[in-house]
Amino acid sequence: MKTPIPTLCSHISRKYIKLGLVNFLSWNVITLVKLDGVVEMIDLILKAIAYSSSIALMASGITIIYIATRTFNFAHASMVSWGFLIMFALYSWFGGTPYYYVLVAAAFSGFLGVIIYYSVNRRLLKANASGITLMMSTLGVDLILFAAINLFADYLTNVYKVNARLFFLELKDISIGTIGGVNIRAAPLVSILVVVLVITLLHTFLTKTTLGTAMRATIENTSLAMVLGVNPEIVYVLSWFLGGALAGLGGALLSLIYVGRPEVGMEIIVTMFAGSIVGGLYSIFGSLLGGFLVGLSEYLGITFLSLSFGGWILAYKPLIPLAAMVLALLIYPQGIGGISLRRITVKSIGISSRKNKVVKD
Amino acid sequence: MVLEIPPLLLLILRDFAIGLIITVSLNLEVGIAGIPQFGRVLAVLIGALVAAAIPGRILAWSMNLPSGADYAYHLENYKIVDQITKVLQVNATLSIGILLFTLVLAAILGGLIGYACSYPALRLKEAYLGITLLAFGDALQTVSWYYSPIAGGTQGVSIPDVFRWIGTGPERYLGMVLILLGVALLVFVIAEALIRSPFGRALKAMRDSELAAVVYGKNIVKLRAETLIVGGALSAIGGALWALNTGSFRAVTYTKLTWTFWPWAYMMLGGTGNNLGMLIGVFTFSVIRSLIYAYKTEMTMLIPISPEWFEYILVGLAIIILVLFRPQGLFPEKPALTLPKKEIENIRQRIKKE
Repeated sequence: MKTPIPTLCSHISRKYIKLGLVNFLSWNVITLVKLDGVVEMIDLILKAIAYSSSIALMASGITIIYIATRTFNFAHASMVSWGFLIMFALYSWFGGTPYYYVLVAAAFSGFLGVIIYYSVNRRLLKANASGITLMMSTLGVDLILFAAINLFADYLTNVYKVNARLFFLELKDISIGTIGGVNIRAAPLVSILVVVLVITLLHTFLTKTTLGTAMRATIENTSLAMVLGVNPEIVYVLSWFLGGALAGLGGALLSLIYVGRPEVGMEIIVTMFAGSIVGGLYSIFGSLLGGFLVGLSEYLGITFLSLSFGGWILAYKPLIPLAAMVLALLIYPQGIGGISLRRITVKSIGISSRKNKVVKD
Repeated sequence: MVLEIPPLLLLILRDFAIGLIITVSLNLEVGIAGIPQFGRVLAVLIGALVAAAIPGRILAWSMNLPSGADYAYHLENYKIVDQITKVLQVNATLSIGILLFTLVLAAILGGLIGYACSYPALRLKEAYLGITLLAFGDALQTVSWYYSPIAGGTQGVSIPDVFRWIGTGPERYLGMVLILLGVALLVFVIAEALIRSPFGRALKAMRDSELAAVVYGKNIVKLRAETLIVGGALSAIGGALWALNTGSFRAVTYTKLTWTFWPWAYMMLGGTGNNLGMLIGVFTFSVIRSLIYAYKTEMTMLIPISPEWFEYILVGLAIIILVLFRPQGLFPEKPALTLPKKEIENIRQRIKKE
């Protein structure tokens, strides 16, 4: 089999950049590599796993903010981009392994979330604004954050003489071995470990700690929780912090497999939303699974489609999450959180026990 | 001829005309009917696609030039369009006919797209509907960006110049701006008439309380579909005019930012639900944006910020400040007076006497 099989953005090596096969202007960067063995297939699957894990983290961030504050957070795009760029900036300033800075990036985006809550969201929640108004406000925030990212990228480029508009942190990733001449990087392994860790920590936090219980109670029924002495403020701040931190974490991990540009968040925001909606929007763990599935189907699905239909179909990659989202909304709005996971989550966590009454007329 | 009008003013007026068409159609759907239209770019893009693909092809076909998929091939397209424009330049009637035909066709297709949008609009609510419409817009943009046989894909296509008969220099631009303003005025009047009609009042009733509207015998399904059709048709006209005025089509420029979120900002500044506010909102933003565009270099010297990002910050700040401190906008919607003031005064006096 010597048919050239196109794969996705992460397969960039310096050789192909020199060959000019990379189309930087298009939505996703596509290279044509010869994929004629099991080894490359494994590599592709590993990268798909890394990508999907990042999307899963981001999607769960959207869900946390949505269930706690009714806000569809458009600013998630820029929060992810900030995580992405912070990784790059810290790496180019201090060197070392990119992994040192993952937590810093997550904390930074979490902090951004707290700022957004105190500056914009809090006042609107107090005024009991409609869902559309809340969404619009985060859009305004997103535009400002997006401009700020670009200014930061300009600053990095001008002052430190590093190309913050196009960088490849992937090449700086630790190599954990080679299979048949192909370098296997640590990113997929780390990503999946981080997802497992996040699930465990979140689960422990939500079920075993007082604060987590208070958070669940506020999400279920705010007035009742207030009667019992829970301050919803704390829960709102916490959800914004957690949502932001998950966005930053996702962005930081994504930077190890994705071509770095300040616009990265804007490009994958639809995939994040799709993950969150496929997950059912009312279940944190549903959205983790939803994000993972949407990411996988986007990354692997398009490769398999290109095998049977030809390389031209690769360009339509963004349509996969869009289709997943629209289909989920129109056909089964309860999402993954509404089906198999539901019973489990209700029993052990109780997050998704809220009725999905919003969507259908 | 009057040629003393500064080009900056013409730029502002052009942006104002197009912005007004889009924003008025958005206001009809969002402000009056309460549908969260986050996919405005969808209908705009349809209008632009019509302008990019149809009139040029028809003329090419009548002139025995390639008019199939090869029309959109970028190495051939500009030559074909060049020949067509030469014909259009000397034939004013044909130019105007083509312009009107394009606008009508864009309106029809925009209406169809609006009707297609009513499928999710009847099933979903609030943010869910917004996200779905947003996804539709993104999907169409992706397809028109990568699918080249219709309108050139990534290479784009040129569009025959239907304004060339006015002249070749500044008078062409002036005439074009006047035509744009004329269409914008027409759209404004149509929208205003619709809002003041029983149809508009039914929409407001539906927006304020769906249940009450149903109780009074209004068909919600039909009302929503009709609003989306009218709104789609109007904004498709805007999109077609924009494409005709720029003279070329590249799908990548039809982003949700420019054609959905900015009109939202215009609308929110003016006052959602109030058409007069739309005039003010669009005008303010057109002036600011054109000034930024015109004084780019001077601005970069003053503040070390790239003007492009400055524009983002400006729009973002405007949205946040409006949402936080003045959600009703500069000119809030006023309750519609159904009777002349005199009559109401008379009634008031009569009540006082009794």
